Amino acid sequence: MTALAGGLLAQGALATLAVLVAVSARGRARNLLAGVACAALSAAGAVSGALALSGATVTLRMATALPGAELVLAPDRLGGLLMLLVGSVGFLASVYAIGYVHGASASRTQWAALALFLLGMQLVPAAGDVVAFLLAWELMAAASTVLVLAEQAHRPAARQAAVWYAVMTHLSFVLLLAGFAALSATGGTTSFAGLAGTDAARPGATAAFVLLVVGFAAKAGVAPLHVWLPRAHPEAPSHASALMSAAMVSLGAYGILLVGIRLLPGGPTWWSVLLTALGAGSAVHGILHAGVATDLKRLLAYSTSENLGLVVAAIGLTMLLRTHHVPGAAGAALVAALLLLVSHAAFKSTLFLGAGAVLRATGERDLDRMGGLAHAMPWTAATFGVGSLGAAALPVTGGFVAEWTLLQALIHGVRPADRVVAVVVPLTLGLIALTAGLALVTFVKAFGIAFLARARSVTALAATEAPPSMRAAMVLGAVGVLALGVLPGPVAAAAASAIGVDGVRVAGLGGVELTGVGAVLSPAALVGLGAVVALPALALVLVVARRRPATTDVLGWGCGGVRTSPRMQYNATSYAEPVMRIFDDALQPRRDVVVTHVGESAYLAERVRFAQHHDDVVEVRLYRPLVAAADALADRARRVQNGSVNRYLAFSFTALVVVLLVVVA
Amino acid sequence: MTVVGEAHLMSTPGSAATQLIALAAGALLVTSVLMVWRRELSAQVRLLTVQGVSLAVLAVTIGLSGPASARAELLVVAALVLALRAWLLPWVVGRRLRAGVEAGDAAREDGARLNPTASLVVVALLATVAYLVSRPISEAVAAGSGAAVSGPAAFAVPVGVCMVLIGFLLLVGRRRAMSQLIGFLVLDNGIATVAFLTAAGVPFAVELGVSSDVLLVVLILAVLSRRIHAQVGSTTLDSMTELRD
Repeated sequence: MTALAGGLLAQGALATLAVLVAVSARGRARNLLAGVACAALSAAGAVSGALALSGATVTLRMATALPGAELVLAPDRLGGLLMLLVGSVGFLASVYAIGYVHGASASRTQWAALALFLLGMQLVPAAGDVVAFLLAWELMAAASTVLVLAEQAHRPAARQAAVWYAVMTHLSFVLLLAGFAALSATGGTTSFAGLAGTDAARPGATAAFVLLVVGFAAKAGVAPLHVWLPRAHPEAPSHASALMSAAMVSLGAYGILLVGIRLLPGGPTWWSVLLTALGAGSAVHGILHAGVATDLKRLLAYSTSENLGLVVAAIGLTMLLRTHHVPGAAGAALVAALLLLVSHAAFKSTLFLGAGAVLRATGERDLDRMGGLAHAMPWTAATFGVGSLGAAALPVTGGFVAEWTLLQALIHGVRPADRVVAVVVPLTLGLIALTAGLALVTFVKAFGIAFLARARSVTALAATEAPPSMRAAMVLGAVGVLALGVLPGPVAAAAASAIGVDGVRVAGLGGVELTGVGAVLSPAALVGLGAVVALPALALVLVVARRRPATTDVLGWGCGGVRTSPRMQYNATSYAEPVMRIFDDALQPRRDVVVTHVGESAYLAERVRFAQHHDDVVEVRLYRPLVAAADALADRARRVQNGSVNRYLAFSFTALVVVLLVVVA
Repeated sequence: MTVVGEAHLMSTPGSAATQLIALAAGALLVTSVLMVWRRELSAQVRLLTVQGVSLAVLAVTIGLSGPASARAELLVVAALVLALRAWLLPWVVGRRLRAGVEAGDAAREDGARLNPTASLVVVALLATVAYLVSRPISEAVAAGSGAAVSGPAAFAVPVGVCMVLIGFLLLVGRRRAMSQLIGFLVLDNGIATVAFLTAAGVPFAVELGVSSDVLLVVLILAVLSRRIHAQVGSTTLDSMTELRD
């Protein structure tokens, strides 16, 4: 038995162990033991993934109760990369959960669901055939639905979120089932190895592609199928949000990679344009809503929609550039897609874990009621800050390297002679630049309003730092974000070899060189250079500052006064006001201003109440009519179902007679 | 339907075993039809007893005409059928019925959804359907293919299918809880008939399992009907429409 096979089997054994421990242990022991078992399960996944990524192969066949149907686990190198990613995020989330869970989220159900969720996610990229893939997928979907409800099942909002999530996730499953059925019928087999490189011109291939892409896009949270994200993430326990947002959605992107690159390569141009448009649209839509969101976890959820949009756009561009014979840029775009996935997993898990620490300390998700947390929670503030740098794609983080690679691919992919490329690529470039700018605004807001300035509420004032296990997970995540940014070369080279792209080399000290487009980035060298320049300057400033007498701060433009109330500070709503005004038409906010006057005076106000709401336009225009139609249909169905036993029996009787007659005829 | 096929199915009408099987099957069919026709619940329980006896006769005949090795086991199965379907189940239903009548419940099935004439017409249609759909099974049994080895019993298979359909019809058309129970028992007798006729007798373990299942269902339904009576004052199911959505 090879090490990889052992790793795969160990995951099954550890998941069983974790479920048993979760069910049998009590109190604090359950949190510790189940948390350690889940962490071991994820570590086994990460190690198996690393083995598969480094080129180890194995084919595990498991007989099922059904004759002729067997489950095949055969991770390839790309699957290994994803398994490594999921396992690493799972490890962080499990360690974090030991200190985080409390009340309802420390229940047996939560821990058992967490173990199954981790197992499902780690087996999805290991699947070697359609049956195993769908089974693991459904395990992941069902367990994550339980996790959405694990913390606050008593809240109507959480129940509603769970219903939305369950509907969307099963809609996605149905589409995948239909898509894989069509694909298997076209290719004549259910194994991925047999289906690889299916001719896209064969009948059924287009239907399979569209069904699969829509199904995977729903899981990846790509607009307009993202509606479950901003609902489910705020309600789920934070470690589950981190898992769903950093790991699970990545599997949606993995699905799109699987279909677009491996199973059905060489499709017509409109396939790639569709993917690019979906991705770029989702990126802009997601970051716009994240920019004006005041609920911290909702903001992160929309940012996930944005990042996965970038990934899907990169995959679409790869397909487009490959069909239009621009191989260098196509390879760079594909590597960018993988780097985006990896860096997104790193910074988004760090951010969600940080948001969970804030939520645990203050009970608040509303940015407008936070503030000043950097003093009370220095570890959380530092790690969240690093995560924000990553999400804003600023240098020395993984996010920067990924977006740099994508922009390199786009800039070097422009071909004025080819009409489609000449239109699509520059447009996408513009949209991605807009996204990058808005991401900066969004995460300056998220970090600045939550952690800097003064506390805006009593609970924020009383916050205390998170316990050690949570701190450890957040620090590990932040280190990951920085490592991906400082030493991107090995990661990029591994990603490139995983997806079969040549043209990526390690340059200098952990730098990355894209030989296909002739671009080099060496962050470690830049950091060294920066240090050489900045450290003496910093030392000089410190020395000078020590010599000067202490100064008293006065308020700029304060006319000698001070802002006595913390409510006079900028808050998340006011910071996002310019964005809200510029994109007024797209966001369509509703504002209520209620002025209470002093006595009869029309000029003196006693108090002014301001409230601002904005709905997701996609939801209002697309989903509300759909939901209303479904409700109307269900009402009709209710008339058939009147509660009479006789009527129900009559239904089955009629069915029996009809089946008998059909069988004979 | 070809004439050749008919002749083949009725190949050995002369033997005593075939005559007995035909008699038992006829009794099963007639009792089922009578149950649709009669409204008196106590009469239906008596018919259920007759049906149980007929089923036991069928089991004994098949057991005796089969291979000697399986004879002892099949006779035990027949005894089990007799004890359960001809005595225990009708007794449980009858006891519950008498208790219900003493508590003021009607002893007749009133207000069934189909009147007797219409139900008999439907039964005739169902019998036709049963004969049509069981032809492939009959032919397979007569040819002795697969697990089926009881050639002479093949012609009676449609009776079992017909009983299943009639039992279902009783379930659909009747409103009283006890009538539902009786309908369920007819349906189950039909399933047992088909099993005996096609598999040349049923292994003891299987029959024991099925019997204990049916016994459990009947006991639960009997208790349930008493609770329904206590709750809503009658045992019609019309008032039980709240469990939906």
